[in-house]
Amino acid sequence: MKTGIRTFALTIAALTLGATAATAHHSAAQFDFGQRVTIEGIVKEFNVVNPHTSAIVEITDDARGTRDVEYEGHSASHFYRAGYTRGMVKPGDRISILIAPRVDGADGGFIQAFTANGQTIGFGGLSPETGRRVERAEAE
Amino acid sequence: MTSTRPPALRALIATAACCFAGPSAVAQHPDFTGIWETYRGAPQARASGFAGPRAGLPLTEEGQRRVEEYRALSGPERLNAAAHCANYGVPAVMGLPGSYPIEFIHKPDQLTIIFESNNETRRIYIGERQLPPERRIPSRAGYSAAHWEGDALVVETTDLLDGQDQAANPYSEEARIDERFSVAEDANGTEVLTYSATITDPVYYTEPVVVERRYQRYDGFILPYACQDELWYELLEMRRGQLEAGQPVDARMSDIYEIREQKE
Repeated sequence: MKTGIRTFALTIAALTLGATAATAHHSAAQFDFGQRVTIEGIVKEFNVVNPHTSAIVEITDDARGTRDVEYEGHSASHFYRAGYTRGMVKPGDRISILIAPRVDGADGGFIQAFTANGQTIGFGGLSPETGRRVERAEAE
Repeated sequence: MTSTRPPALRALIATAACCFAGPSAVAQHPDFTGIWETYRGAPQARASGFAGPRAGLPLTEEGQRRVEEYRALSGPERLNAAAHCANYGVPAVMGLPGSYPIEFIHKPDQLTIIFESNNETRRIYIGERQLPPERRIPSRAGYSAAHWEGDALVVETTDLLDGQDQAANPYSEEARIDERFSVAEDANGTEVLTYSATITDPVYYTEPVVVERRYQRYDGFILPYACQDELWYELLEMRRGQLEAGQPVDARMSDIYEIREQKE
């Protein structure tokens, strides 16, 4: 029984961690879905939750240096249906994300596809590397 | 009338009458039970907006005013209910916004529809047993009473709350939605559930608005959609931080909302 309680507490902690960054509950009007940009970085948080997934990634470029950027993505349901599995992406992982950038040009964007640990998950079938459609078998 | 048959034979006949006398109420009609998704056999109108295309709705003057007001209220970020874990409501949810699947649980006296999105639920009561109108609580799903016309389940939905769908299409408390559910096979033998809704709303529309959606069987699972739970977890996490820091444990939900607003 004690083990069960501990497991529950851990589950809550994990979910809470997920909830912490799941605060961007708004519509997707702020993103330019007519454009695609690929970013690369180190995962700080990767919270696959509803209604929107949230990822915090440390990225570096000449223009703005190194900083943590929050990206928004589809719901947990869409992630899992696209082939995502629990624990696929963890803090510390290197990740490549194809995003629809923000309309205002600030950091951030909406996740269209990503590659981490040799696995690619695409939404709408777009690869983060090529911007072309990813076949289902490849995504899984 | 007194039976001259032996008791054992009477019992056998009774058993046969029980189990083989005829199909159940569900079996006599199509059984909608199962998981469905948007039909992919032919293009359909956009999911968001119960009337399909946003333009050309027969709005009354008041209806037009409400549309314009809603667009002003939702602002440039297009604030919307679903992003805040609120229900879509009927009939908008029948368009399966977000392309999430739906589950039908069909009993003789009730059709229950559970949407993956936000766990939104509809209960459609079939037959004579109905809640009296004065005991119905207005809601975004409304109250749905149904009967069969041949193999079509015919539903009358009333007792809606005044509101708007994500495309700003309004519906009033006086709206009445006449819905039909029926199943047929398409040319490829795919089972297709066709849903139609006629929205009659004298407050916002000058004439009835008709919507049609089609669904096909989905060979998958309804996944959990714990949207509103996130708020509770965030509050617990904030209080956990206070507890571990030796501070008064007094974080409130308004603190969570404040943080969210700062991030938007």
